[in-house]
Amino acid sequence: MNTVLKCNKMTMKFGGLTAVNEFSVEIPEKEIFGLIGPNGAGKTTVFNMITGNLQPTSGMIYFYDKPIVGLKPYQVVSLGMARTFQNIRLFTNLSVLENVLTGFHHKLKYNLLDTILRLPRFSKNEKIMTEMAMDLLESVNLQDKANHKASELPYGDRRKVEIARALATGPKMLLLDEPAAGMNPQETMSLMYFIEEIRDKFDLTILLIEHDMKFVMSLCKTIAVLDHGVKIAEGKPEEVQKNPDVIRAYLGDINA
Amino acid sequence: MKRNQILTILSIILLFLFLWYANNNLSAYYIRILNNTAIFLMLAASYNLINGVTGQFSLEPNGFTAIGAYTAAILTLTPAQKEAMFIISPMVPWLQNLHMSFFPALIVAGIVTAIVGFLLGFPVFRVRGDYLAIVTLGFGLTIRVVSNNTISITNGPLGLKGIENYTNLWWTWGFAVVTLIIIMRLINSEFGRAMKAVRDDEDAAIAMGINTFKIKMIAFVTSAFFEGVAGGLLAHLITTISPTLFTFFLTFNLLIIIVIGGLGSMTGTAIATILVVWGSEILRFVEQPMHIFNFTIPGIPGMRMVIFSILLIVIMIFAREGIMGQKEFSWDSLFKLFKTKKVANK
Amino acid sequence: MNTTLILQQLFNGLALGSLYGLIAIGYTMVYGVIRLINFAHGDVMMVGTYIAILAVSVLLLPWWAAFLLTIFATAFVGVVIDKIAYKPLRNASRISSLITAIGVSFFLENLFLVIFGGVPKSFPIPALFSGTLHIKGVILPVISIIVPIVALAFLAILMYILHNTKYGIAMRALSLDMDTTRLMGANVDAIISFVFAIGSSLAAAGGIFWALKYPSINPLMGIMPGLKAFAAAVLGGIGSVPGAAIGGFIIGIVEILAVALFPPLAGYKDAFAFLLLIFVLLFKPTGIMGEDLERGRF
Repeated sequence: MNTVLKCNKMTMKFGGLTAVNEFSVEIPEKEIFGLIGPNGAGKTTVFNMITGNLQPTSGMIYFYDKPIVGLKPYQVVSLGMARTFQNIRLFTNLSVLENVLTGFHHKLKYNLLDTILRLPRFSKNEKIMTEMAMDLLESVNLQDKANHKASELPYGDRRKVEIARALATGPKMLLLDEPAAGMNPQETMSLMYFIEEIRDKFDLTILLIEHDMKFVMSLCKTIAVLDHGVKIAEGKPEEVQKNPDVIRAYLGDINA
Repeated sequence: MKRNQILTILSIILLFLFLWYANNNLSAYYIRILNNTAIFLMLAASYNLINGVTGQFSLEPNGFTAIGAYTAAILTLTPAQKEAMFIISPMVPWLQNLHMSFFPALIVAGIVTAIVGFLLGFPVFRVRGDYLAIVTLGFGLTIRVVSNNTISITNGPLGLKGIENYTNLWWTWGFAVVTLIIIMRLINSEFGRAMKAVRDDEDAAIAMGINTFKIKMIAFVTSAFFEGVAGGLLAHLITTISPTLFTFFLTFNLLIIIVIGGLGSMTGTAIATILVVWGSEILRFVEQPMHIFNFTIPGIPGMRMVIFSILLIVIMIFAREGIMGQKEFSWDSLFKLFKTKKVANK
Repeated sequence: MNTTLILQQLFNGLALGSLYGLIAIGYTMVYGVIRLINFAHGDVMMVGTYIAILAVSVLLLPWWAAFLLTIFATAFVGVVIDKIAYKPLRNASRISSLITAIGVSFFLENLFLVIFGGVPKSFPIPALFSGTLHIKGVILPVISIIVPIVALAFLAILMYILHNTKYGIAMRALSLDMDTTRLMGANVDAIISFVFAIGSSLAAAGGIFWALKYPSINPLMGIMPGLKAFAAAVLGGIGSVPGAAIGGFIIGIVEILAVALFPPLAGYKDAFAFLLLIFVLLFKPTGIMGEDLERGRF
């Protein structure tokens, strides 16, 4: 099977502090891969390095065998990698539909002149983009709320809009930063099915960070555990659960 | 769709019918105010594009307006006029003999200003946030220092005189309408959505694959272009320009307009431009000596600005949305309003 | 140009730089705790010089008492401005408070124009500050020597407060993380007021010395020094107090020396600070001593 994402000894230092130390991982195609660890373990830092928001101090990252270290975040997106944020970050003053439309930005097929003169290419592509965005909203069941302001939606719906917006960029890989945060058990359950559903529908490879153990254990095929910036375990959920290092890391966390 | 376009065209025709009436019947004083309104509308709409729509708070319009005004004026002055005027130091030869008619001079003014905007954008959009405000403020000041000192180009503190009075209601309102149409079309496109995305959450915009540097630059350069053209119109309206004309005071007035109208709303900008331009004419009385019965209260220069600055602070604290917030006028919403009223009446 | 003259100009640059530094500290501290560019800071300095003039010529106080009164009164003005104009906007967007600060700046300038008129007033200079010194052929105004010494003394006192007193440590904690500091039980509002008080009193000191050095004062006198001091704060690394002082020295010395060495540039001297600022932003946006305040964004 093809490797989609490969991190090789990825390291991030902030001043004297090592946030992530020599993190390596390989994620095969169509896998749902979980990254867990106690608070402050460096999970979000790993995300930010992969998406180009942070430049690793050392180490390499390959996306479909192409090195992506040094690329700007928007360039990484156009290669087919999209993300969501831990604390949902929608464009609050835009409508739900407009939020999704921004995802098409990097494939925009009209230019400034088309825009200003309202040439046929403008109207044609606006129409196509709107149809595509409505399709995406339909697949997350929010087509009725297309014209609502993003800030007016309930929490669970906002998460879905954020995912739909990420899907609009046309990703091959999706990075989800704590998608179940703030959801009740039923919402979490339906999110689980939803993630599997979009994985199959859009042929995605998914990397997710999550605190909800039940959620990760039942959704992910492979899990990596991060503690103090170091990967201490990787394997199937049941293996990881029994790993003494992992238990120690989490119990230590609880005691502290 | 069709209906709305017809309505828009109709209202533009109505506007120009009114201008035709005004041109023939109103006094020079009122025509001057109407011209000012159009120029301020251009300036404020451009300023709101970068400040309100794209959320990049900057303070350069006085600098851009100055560049546009000087460029256009230098281009329309005849070589003979320039030779007579530049008494401290003769003008550099290639500018001395450059001469153009009004319209191309305005367009060149816009282009020159846009180029300066592009160059300025490089350092300031490299960093996020508040530095933009201070660098652009410094830029406006630098432009004034430069126009005071490059005597063989700008005639220094003496300024340029005898600029032909080409600007009239047709030019000012023609350009104002075109500016608004282009800016509205920009806002109602993927470019505009990206600008608003940058404003709402820059990190998320980057994560959506938006090249935020490029988007900010598009907004900034567009805004510079129209401010440059507006500067050219202004120069040919007042016919005498000097460095003291383009102080931060001008930017402050525009800031008040876009804050009152609502940061991000062009409809609000239009309403607020009218309110502020006419309001400050009405408020002129506070700076003039007043006669009440037999007493004379001397005029207090600067009082208007005290009032305006208090107004600005009060709006920011109590009514941050301004008149329109980020909403825009549309024919559809107008019709909807009428319909709901009718239903309510029944 | 000979060494004596250069030395003389270097001292003048140092004196001017200390003034920028004194004002810059107010910018950098306020930015550090509430992330606001206090546009009105230069105008607070202007208010300080007017208070000083009134204290000397209307209240007829001896100069030292007038200066002390000025420093305390200006600190009070700074705190009041924060309470009225900035505090209601603490949770609003940064643009909102920035616009308000511009409003305050314009308000102060125009209010003083209305009250005192635009005609410059001359500042009474106590005899102590008016002489010149001759050291080995170098002619120095006394004021050019006093200003850097006083500025460094203020800086030393401030650094002591920041590192050794409860309030100072709380201030530094606040600049790192407001919410946590609040949770730890610190009175955030009191600390912010204290920051405004310190910044404004240093601006007052800067204003007094500015007026002693350039004794013609008017309601718009705060704009230029204010802007350059802000450039100094960014140059030194915004948020860093010693950085602000260093940035101030650099801008003061560059301004004086450039004009001394290339007289044709004299007309452009007000633009130097911004060219410097633009270069800093191009090559080292965090300034000389600064850390990236935006780092913890994700």
